[in-house]
Amino acid sequence: MAKQLITLTVNGDEHELAVAPYQTLLEVLRDELGLIGTKRGCTAGSCGVCTVNGEKGEAVLSCCALAVEWHGRSVTTVEGVQEGTELHPLQKMFLEHGAVQCGFCTPGLIMSAKALLDVNTSPTEQDINEAMAGAICRCTGHIKVKVAIREAAKLLRARELQTNEAAAGAAGVNNGAR
Amino acid sequence: MARAKEDLSVVGKNWARLDGADKVTGRSIFADDVRLPGMLYGKVVRSPHAHARILNIDISKAAAVPGVKAILTPEDGKDVWIGMNQPLLPPDGVVKYVGHEVVAIAATSERIAAKAAKLVEVEYEILPSLTDPREAIKEGAIQLHEKAKGNIGWELNLDQGDPDKVFAECDVIREDEFITNASHNCYAEYHVCVSDFSQAGKLVVWTPTQTAILFQKSIAAAFQMDESDVRLLTLNTGGGFTGRTSARPHHYLSALLSRKAGRPVRLRAAGDEEFIMCRAGGKVIYKLRSGASKDGKLKVIEADLLFDNGAYSESQMIVTTLTSKYLHALYPLEASRYRGRLAHTNHLPYYFHHGGGLAQMQFALGQHMDELAHELGMDSVEFGLRNGVEEGYTTPDGTTTYHSCGLKECIEKTAALAGWKDKYGKLPKYKGIGIGIGAMASGAKGLFKHDTSAAMIHVSTDGKASLFIGLPDMGQSSHTTMAIIAAEVLGISPTDIKVVSGDTDTDPFDVGAFTQRGTFNTGNATKSAALDARAQLSGRAASLLECAEDDLVWRDHQVYSRQNPDNKIPFRKVVDQTLNSTEGRFVMGRGYYNSPLEKGSMAYSFGAQIAEVTVDPNTGVVTVDKMTASHDVGRAINPRVVEGQIDGQIFSGMSQVLYEETIMEGGQVMNPSRLDYKMPRAYEMPEVEHIIVETIDPHGPFGAKEVGEGPIVCTMQAIANAVANALGTRIHEMPLSPWRVVKAVKTNK
Repeated sequence: MAKQLITLTVNGDEHELAVAPYQTLLEVLRDELGLIGTKRGCTAGSCGVCTVNGEKGEAVLSCCALAVEWHGRSVTTVEGVQEGTELHPLQKMFLEHGAVQCGFCTPGLIMSAKALLDVNTSPTEQDINEAMAGAICRCTGHIKVKVAIREAAKLLRARELQTNEAAAGAAGVNNGAR
Repeated sequence: MARAKEDLSVVGKNWARLDGADKVTGRSIFADDVRLPGMLYGKVVRSPHAHARILNIDISKAAAVPGVKAILTPEDGKDVWIGMNQPLLPPDGVVKYVGHEVVAIAATSERIAAKAAKLVEVEYEILPSLTDPREAIKEGAIQLHEKAKGNIGWELNLDQGDPDKVFAECDVIREDEFITNASHNCYAEYHVCVSDFSQAGKLVVWTPTQTAILFQKSIAAAFQMDESDVRLLTLNTGGGFTGRTSARPHHYLSALLSRKAGRPVRLRAAGDEEFIMCRAGGKVIYKLRSGASKDGKLKVIEADLLFDNGAYSESQMIVTTLTSKYLHALYPLEASRYRGRLAHTNHLPYYFHHGGGLAQMQFALGQHMDELAHELGMDSVEFGLRNGVEEGYTTPDGTTTYHSCGLKECIEKTAALAGWKDKYGKLPKYKGIGIGIGAMASGAKGLFKHDTSAAMIHVSTDGKASLFIGLPDMGQSSHTTMAIIAAEVLGISPTDIKVVSGDTDTDPFDVGAFTQRGTFNTGNATKSAALDARAQLSGRAASLLECAEDDLVWRDHQVYSRQNPDNKIPFRKVVDQTLNSTEGRFVMGRGYYNSPLEKGSMAYSFGAQIAEVTVDPNTGVVTVDKMTASHDVGRAINPRVVEGQIDGQIFSGMSQVLYEETIMEGGQVMNPSRLDYKMPRAYEMPEVEHIIVETIDPHGPFGAKEVGEGPIVCTMQAIANAVANALGTRIHEMPLSPWRVVKAVKTNK
């Protein structure tokens, strides 16, 4: 089958790629772009290790997405989560609370959790359970993973509060000047 | 008996895993991530039949596919023997299980290899097959191996004391039969092996493993090479669960393909192939009989285990030996009788699932004891406290003595925290509570002549160190555990230590990360290496501080005399002055540990878990509401990791007892995917309360013992006992799938 030229933005970098219509997003990320942080598992959408985030931050099973469908769109992989040289709060909390064991499913878990926390920093137990329902993790039994997500949510809420206060403070100064 | 705890500065605090930042950012490399120049991709053509004669193999169409670089047929596998007695490819032209490897192909892409594999034409004559171990041992059954008369591949009979005499003296005798079914390890990382055999006589292998040394040994033996010419690179291992303890056909096939093609080859399980490539434990049927006096003293156990061994003997031989030993692990008995038989069937050779056969046997034995306790008018907590082992206990064969034992402390604390007394027998219908108890050795000398782990450590003039070990870390955080142990000895921080491991060219010897030997064996080796390094620094430190070497304290990056704690010198200064002086000593410590016993381990850990469940009588779904779990780890080197080990084993035990079954029909796996082979998801996991019991083992590094497989031994029986408590009837077969539960509810009405 003839290859198609696509433009794909990954972690902010735009790539022009020639891909076969049957190639998955996972294959392109790992084999064409060398982004091997996204892991290959069942390749049938049942284990969750290949999860990345789409344009709206949603969780995407990259093994079940065709690369050609992602022409002109952008994705975030685990390599794009770190903030400069610092770990993202989710990464920090996974590490601190022992939510990482063998680490093979960890990138997928982080991307599933990030899809949740990017839109909801006050998740309920139910929200976390639903967001993580597509993942399998034999090592941790999900228990410390859930703790890490709750703790990361706290950090992100604190950060939001700071940002809001700073914005309010800035607004206050402006008002005063007026 | 509680021993005094040393005052420690590093051990016992929560340390994040040293490689954690790599794992959360996607930097960690696994075997499937290895990219080599010119690498080819393998695909195996497998038998679709449980038992068949190969009449003809035609590879001509496959060979003609552009991009195909090498094809192996049974002729290429001639003289390559793997495992205990298995030919790599069937040389006699008979395939003995579904998935039996027949032809292997290497091509320039996975797609081309898969396409070519489909073009291989194999003509079979289907033969009658054996798929049930009970049928296999019946008179008149077809014979799978000439040497295995009656299809019994191995049999172990072991009487200790005089069981017949003791049974005759018992007031209460109970018999039960249980079944555990075939299952799969389901690691996150699928089976994969990259081999580079393109240089004559030199083989390099990248693969996940729990034991690089044993892989190296068996691969070298299969290819008649010196062990040093086989280099194993472990990288990260995406889960072990007792399933990565021996090399499997894909390891050998990728090497042979690489040798034939003269290029590196990656062979990986594709999707559902994972389930037919390497299964874990097979079906086991347990016939149990035990006797007690009417005052509640357990006196004798008889166990008759029939294993589905699969087509060739593999790890099940070890399981028979282990399960026979563990009859005496929890209760001092007057006598016992064990029979273990491995029945050959047309299933894939069985290996281990998480729990090593012991957790599965405890599913049976723990429930059997629960029933016996009821017959004696006791509950299982009382029964455990009345009959459980204590410190100083020696097994009747004299091989094992418990130098520390927190079993009863575990039972008491777990029962108290779970509120056993207020709940047991007082819960509403379809709510249940149950307890499971267990014992587990740290290490298992006797499987091999020795049980050795070695370690080396070198200390730099900046006060930091590199620790060399051969113990794979497949998630259990053992590398960090070793850094903590070394750091405690040297008085530095674990974060000052780089753990160097995963390459058989440089790793010190280590039997590997199985039989729960890491913390105890490699921990003792590491401690010994660090003490050796410290001894090399002591002379300089003592002369700087003008004190005796015995008085030195190494703590918080400082060295000082116990007599004069205010006069401190930095640790790095001592190292610096040891090297950068006329002495010029480069500090490099070495150590090793091997159990001083002829067979067995110096340390056993113990645990108790209480499960609380709700059963839906209409759907048969069991919800685990809460697990209260205690474990006597001797000493928790890294408490959060201890909790994580308990969590993972509760998951795995719960998964095996309620969900996991490789459903077999006519030798075929009927549910070969992670959608159909169920495991709990996040929303199904219960609340877990942890109780860490510290008995400070006199032989463990800082008193530590295993936590790698002890907890899971308690989980399955605890949940099964809770389900029986909820239903008022018992299900004798694992997993307790909804259909089995519904059936039990209907039968019980």
